[in-house]
Amino acid sequence: MAESTVLVYGTNLAGYRAAYALAKIGYKTILLNRGAYVDQYRNQALAQLPLDFCWICGHMPQRLFIGLGAMEVHYNAQILEVNGEPGNFVVRFKKRDPYVNNFACTECSACVTACPIEVETPSGKRKAIYEIPYIGWENVYLIDDKNCTKCGKCEEVCPTKCLKVDRPVEEKEVKVGAIILATEYEEPLDEDLKKFGYGHPNVVKNSDLARRSLLTNFVRNSLIRPSDGKLAQKIAVILTPQYNPKEFESYNLSVSCVYRAYRIKEVYPEANVKMFFREFKGYGKGHYQWLEKALSKGVELARADDLEVIGKGENLVVKYSLYGKAYEEEFEMVILVTGQRAPSVMEELRKVLKVEPDEFGFCKVDPFTSGKTSVEGIFAVGELTGPKGNPEIVWEGYGVVSEVLKYLGEPNFAPQPPPPFREVRGEPPKVGVFICSCFGEFNNYIDLERLKSKVSEIPGVTHVDVVKGCCTPPTMQEVAQKIKESGVNRVVLAVCTILQKLLRFRRVVMMAGLNPLLSEFLRLREDVIRVHEDRDKMLEKAYALIYGGVEKVKRAVAYATPVGKIKTGVIVLGGGPAGLEVARLLAENKVPVFLVEKSKELGGLAKTLTRDLEGHNIRDHLAELIRTVEENERIKVFKGFELVEFTGTAGNYYALIENKESHEKVFLEAGAVVLAVGGVEFKPYGAYYYGEDDRVLTQRELEEAISKDAVKAKKVVMIQCVGSRNETRPYCSRVCCSHALKNALALVEKGVEVTILYRDLNTYGFKENYKKIAEESGIKFIRFGKDKYPQVISRDPLTVKVETTSGDELTLNADLLVLSVGIIPNPDNERLAKLLNFRLDEYGFFDSDANACPYEEAIKRIMKPFELSTKGIFAVGLAHSPRSYTEAILTAKDAVGKILTFIRKPQLPAPNAMYVSAVKEFKCTGCGMCVVVCPYYARSIDKGRKIATVTPYLCDSCGACLVACPSEAAYLRDARGEMMVPYIDALLM
Amino acid sequence: MQDDSFEPKIFYALCAWCGSGGTETAGAFRLKYPENIRPFRVNCTGALDPVYILRALVEGADGVCISGCHPGDCHYDIGNFRARRRIAIMKEILNVFGIDGDRVWLRWVAHGEGKKLADTAYEFTEFIKKKGPNPLKRWDT
Repeated sequence: MAESTVLVYGTNLAGYRAAYALAKIGYKTILLNRGAYVDQYRNQALAQLPLDFCWICGHMPQRLFIGLGAMEVHYNAQILEVNGEPGNFVVRFKKRDPYVNNFACTECSACVTACPIEVETPSGKRKAIYEIPYIGWENVYLIDDKNCTKCGKCEEVCPTKCLKVDRPVEEKEVKVGAIILATEYEEPLDEDLKKFGYGHPNVVKNSDLARRSLLTNFVRNSLIRPSDGKLAQKIAVILTPQYNPKEFESYNLSVSCVYRAYRIKEVYPEANVKMFFREFKGYGKGHYQWLEKALSKGVELARADDLEVIGKGENLVVKYSLYGKAYEEEFEMVILVTGQRAPSVMEELRKVLKVEPDEFGFCKVDPFTSGKTSVEGIFAVGELTGPKGNPEIVWEGYGVVSEVLKYLGEPNFAPQPPPPFREVRGEPPKVGVFICSCFGEFNNYIDLERLKSKVSEIPGVTHVDVVKGCCTPPTMQEVAQKIKESGVNRVVLAVCTILQKLLRFRRVVMMAGLNPLLSEFLRLREDVIRVHEDRDKMLEKAYALIYGGVEKVKRAVAYATPVGKIKTGVIVLGGGPAGLEVARLLAENKVPVFLVEKSKELGGLAKTLTRDLEGHNIRDHLAELIRTVEENERIKVFKGFELVEFTGTAGNYYALIENKESHEKVFLEAGAVVLAVGGVEFKPYGAYYYGEDDRVLTQRELEEAISKDAVKAKKVVMIQCVGSRNETRPYCSRVCCSHALKNALALVEKGVEVTILYRDLNTYGFKENYKKIAEESGIKFIRFGKDKYPQVISRDPLTVKVETTSGDELTLNADLLVLSVGIIPNPDNERLAKLLNFRLDEYGFFDSDANACPYEEAIKRIMKPFELSTKGIFAVGLAHSPRSYTEAILTAKDAVGKILTFIRKPQLPAPNAMYVSAVKEFKCTGCGMCVVVCPYYARSIDKGRKIATVTPYLCDSCGACLVACPSEAAYLRDARGEMMVPYIDALLM
Repeated sequence: MQDDSFEPKIFYALCAWCGSGGTETAGAFRLKYPENIRPFRVNCTGALDPVYILRALVEGADGVCISGCHPGDCHYDIGNFRARRRIAIMKEILNVFGIDGDRVWLRWVAHGEGKKLADTAYEFTEFIKKKGPNPLKRWDT
């Protein structure tokens, strides 16, 4: 009997995302955090803060999930021993609970006041117990072990008893079905950054700069020099991983570097900004445009071959070489955009778990899998396995779930159903107000008794009470009991942060037998106690707030949670590698699949590929994949069929597919749709005599020729970026540079002379290694500028003329001219987008959750726990964006992980339970405005009744429909206009 | 007419994510701002019906301030873009009615920008103090 719990070791985003998805599917996880508090070891997004993006509220759902009971977290944890086999691992680990249990801490700081020990630190005086505001809205209390005398005074004064000075190290043994290694991002060591001047006060890391500006946003004053407080005017931004062999470049760093330079110019136009990097590796969606934006704003760029930074008093001198000549430039401040170093935890993982590292020091994972390590049942995800981008990390989180499920037993977790609600219809509203005193703490700031007596005179209030607390299990029980005993049917809780404790407050109300829609939570702490000083005015404000809450809640109505039915079955459009992988994994997890392929053969664009740059055999993998899919009984394959009609909403889709030759029509029903319709290779007809001359090929055609051993040429010239990164197609197709290198290395083995003409060599992550191998084997790399593409000056012999960026003009003879072209969207995309009512992005590929607001780094959309935010339609592979074979497979695995969270459930309650929007049917005119404004496609017009309907599990209760509706027919169940207007009136009295 | 004892009532509409987050960060850092602020939470600034702004002014608010996620960072993708347009129009409409549109401010505050929120609260309160009480309050008894 296999175990059902999964162990996650580490706190990177992939691990959290996997734990979250597993919980949704019904499996518990145990999370081992090596640190003393949640984010002590930072994951990549929190460490780099790419594009100054904080988005803590997006990470929050992960933490709220712990409250549901699906995740058990241990701090200061370390794995000691692992025995057993996949499905039945026995893991022994040691852990120590944090001194302060963060979930019960009310941040009153009484412990800090009581501590008798004062410590001197470089940043000032503090006590032996202190709080750190790294994370703005949640302070963490830590004890400095060196200086703490364990006198216990802090423990005596703690009102919630969440602090204990004696936390022993414990050892635990657990039985789990699988292990996911998800350790965190590590910044390069200070000594490895010395050559960039790190250590000098005016050399700052980009991530530190972003972190410092979190409170104020990045403004002019963020550029104040640490040494003398002067505003830096001449600034250098250096992309260090390109000059430091100890660092690895995460995918987004080029854009972070350019973005920083651009933002400096934006907030401080008089500044003189110069960027230093060799290649601009911006190949994600929307990345390329940043370089153009920065350059047009006046940012300078030096594609230095080598550089070094030396201090000169308060200033810094950047010494660099360019085209063989040495230059020196003085700057007032230097910003380092740093990369990742190989995980130091790898040694421990190798010893204890026996997982093998790769040649760079990261965890080795099998190709075409989602983190399968050398030990079966142990998976590695995220930044542990190599430098990557943030979308990839999140996709890996979902992807590993699709592979881990086969090792697990039966689901062992289901969220607790709420107790039955008391029927309150027909009763006059009786409001109970419960004022939290935060364990007596609030009494120091306002007169709670006076507030209580004032509130008891508000018409409608039948019960007022001051309660000790409302957020720890015993106090929650107490308040629920009081609510029950008072017999009220509406509740106002004057408590603290709703962003962190919402679920707890709702549970209190539910435990008292009331529908949470009948309650209102006010932030007495954040809105009154913590931010004001005048006691009388604070009392008045608290009274006004509570009055408003009472007026709102008097008119509240209890609605039941809407549920929606989900069909099993998934339609996969497209039989390329991404579509095949989706079908295979879904079938493996007992989900029926309908695979619809337009052509007569499966395999898509990957049919002509042989191996990838790393040498993995694509041809065999694809053949195996096709065979598995064709033999699987759960997958119905329709070859030669096309989608002709489509209707429905997420969870209930109806499609009609037609065979173009025989005109046979098949009707399909599904809960989700996967768009794997692929892309098309750009054919550069008219450029470089392509199509007219046999000696001009694309990389794909060259690969086929090489595999057939049909290349007789002695000299080959390759031109990169043909038809890409220009006005018409302002994006990078990501794979062309690797493709060129792959073919070039194969040719060089046969003794062919290869020259590659390029603009930026996009060898990202570990592929950078292959550029070195290429240079060492004699392949020549020549860079040309964006406006100075090479020209063919003669066809007999075939000669290419190019002006390099250093100003030299070269003429090259070639037997074969190979053009690296990009991938363009499938011409059928527009028709499909209309049919499915699904958005296309600006380049013509399908919109996806990684696509919001114009850059791929929009972590927010990816981090949201909302599998259905793209209404159950998932774009994978080339239909999503240009990517390599392995990466297309990754997007497929990610889609499967997402689909599995909802597809096997017969019905799905709304994620926001009852707080979704609804329609007043008698007022709705069917105008469709709400359908247009909804960001989640949650609304649609019922064609039969001609009024709007809401698909409840797609609604995130944002409220856009409320304001858009001209007939006042749209409303949010907890914020109806009839409730909010009296709220405003009372608030302002 | 404006005297030193005029304490304005400020209606502060905050989105549930960045706006409220801003107040929570301000609270976490114990930053202080005037007690005149009456916070009003909406799920998204894009869900703030302009009718609520009008109601606030009619019911005696001397100034209305709105804060939410920065454009491009809206928790619900594009709600704040709509808020931006609506409030721009609302300010014009208020001018036409003879109520100073400047009494409505829109300022974006990110979740971690506690200081910016506290500063906005101060700035706006001072601004309204100088402007004087809401002209609609003349007929209040």
